[in-house]
Amino acid sequence: MSGGRFAVDATGFLTLAKREILRYLRRPWNTFAPPFITNVLYFSVFGVILGERVGTITGVPYILFILPGLVVLGAVSNSFENSSFSIFHGRWNEYIHEVLTSPLSYTRMAWAYVLSAATRGLLVGGLIAAIGWGIISALYRPVPVEHPLYLLASLSVIALLFSGLGVVGGLIARDFDDLTVMNQFILRPLVFFGAVFYSLEDLTPLLRDISLFNPMVYMVNGVRYGFLGVAEVDPGFSLVVLGGMTVVVLAVDVAMFKRGYGLTD
Amino acid sequence: MTNALEVEDLRKRYDDVEALDGVSLTVPEGSFFGLLGPNGAGKTTFINVLVGLVRASGGEARVFGHDVEDDYRLARDRVGLAPQEFNVDRFFPIHEVLEHKAGYHGVPHGEAAARAERALKQVGIYDKRDTRFDWLSGGMKRRFMIARALVTEPDLLILDEPSAGVDVQLRRDLWDLVTDLNDDGTTVLLTTHYIEEAERLCDRVAILDSGRVRTVATPTELMDRGTDRVVVTLRESTATARDVLDALPDDDRVADVAVEDDRLVVTATQGGLLAPDIVRELDRAGYTILDLAIERTSLEEVFVEMTRHDDADADDGGVPADDPDTETVAAGGVDR
Repeated sequence: MSGGRFAVDATGFLTLAKREILRYLRRPWNTFAPPFITNVLYFSVFGVILGERVGTITGVPYILFILPGLVVLGAVSNSFENSSFSIFHGRWNEYIHEVLTSPLSYTRMAWAYVLSAATRGLLVGGLIAAIGWGIISALYRPVPVEHPLYLLASLSVIALLFSGLGVVGGLIARDFDDLTVMNQFILRPLVFFGAVFYSLEDLTPLLRDISLFNPMVYMVNGVRYGFLGVAEVDPGFSLVVLGGMTVVVLAVDVAMFKRGYGLTD
Repeated sequence: MTNALEVEDLRKRYDDVEALDGVSLTVPEGSFFGLLGPNGAGKTTFINVLVGLVRASGGEARVFGHDVEDDYRLARDRVGLAPQEFNVDRFFPIHEVLEHKAGYHGVPHGEAAARAERALKQVGIYDKRDTRFDWLSGGMKRRFMIARALVTEPDLLILDEPSAGVDVQLRRDLWDLVTDLNDDGTTVLLTTHYIEEAERLCDRVAILDSGRVRTVATPTELMDRGTDRVVVTLRESTATARDVLDALPDDDRVADVAVEDDRLVVTATQGGLLAPDIVRELDRAGYTILDLAIERTSLEEVFVEMTRHDDADADDGGVPADDPDTETVAAGGVDR
């Protein structure tokens, strides 16, 4: 038995968040090596080799143009994968019962999964930014960070949003195949059509309008604004849209935990 | 005294199956309560409702007065569960799994580490503390399940088939451990297939079948409902069997009298209490008794008899005939 409700709230939440973070920190070859290698390849092939031919987009060298998009790509996929995998794996092997049978509130359970996954998203996003900074600074010029606070806010909201979506994915998945479908057939196309590797100006008016329904566009746009100070969509509007979506998704997460969706019979 | 568990008309429906069909039970604080039943009786569903892994379709369940849904946090804070299935976090060494479990219950890290150490020593696997669960032997895994239930220092310890697949030595170790805990005031709710386990450990047992409580009684009371065999060897030949049978008391407890291998066999409830009457009547009729043995019915035989009877009922129409014991339970007759 515990010492009291406050102790359960604070200690229980911190314990679950710590458990979730330690799970991926102790497996760096699984957590950090893949994005490291993938992004070194991205920067080398797309940025350096192809970038020489592309020249500049919206007034910045191509390798610098794709940097924000790659940071978003890493943050989004790691946030989503972490929360969805952790919850689904716990359900699959039923060890999530260790949490569910505890006196921790459903709200704090959901928040612990979201925040720990978002932390992974930010760490991987930071890793990719560091790789890009290293390569670009060595070959061209230092990478600017024009609006650091906006950049931090934007990346945080993105990581929270996709961690929250990952919680939904982890709760509704019935098989590992479902996670693969969500990641490869939904998330990845959204990212690649989210103006990571191209400018919206290169699209026809119709495709440009359709693209504006893709939330990834606002994310890439916002992070690009934070780094480079250039934006194709109003950065304030981008942040508001993303913030609103995040609030809705997190509310859904908490509601699903309270209802026991995917967790209880 | 507070009741550790109060359950009223608890129901759980899965599609067309009533896993729990109006279960009512009271488990007093400090008791050692057994829940017996065949596979599919609803034992695990019942337990899972108490800890929030299954949501009831109807009825109420309270743990130390806290409703398991409305006050789920207070209820779960008092319960430690060792489930039948191995649902353990495989990513961390077992001492960390225990620390995490204690942490979820609000126990600060330092205290959680001390409790984890204590729990692992209690179940005898402290030297395996840095091992992950997957690398433990079957018996050690079962021991760990108990440790995880103990690390939160629960007031109600729920053991779901703790002896399933364990060797005799481990079973006895577990019995000693939970008996000590119960002696120290922890209420224990035990489900088991091993009737001997319930007979040996439990103050009271409930027999659950097809989602309904058939009866609640002490093991002794249940055994009294079964039929014992009183076997009498006489100096005289039992060739005069008819005379011998006539000499026996006319008693409602007697179910059958027969001659087997030149011995007289009286089948009756409460054979021990009936034996003196048998001796007296035979003596009065002029027979000399060389030997008398009372073969007591076992709880297992009573259990099989009760559930076999219920199967026949189910075949007749699905709903068992009214059982006076069930009525007693529903009316709250299990209060102590």
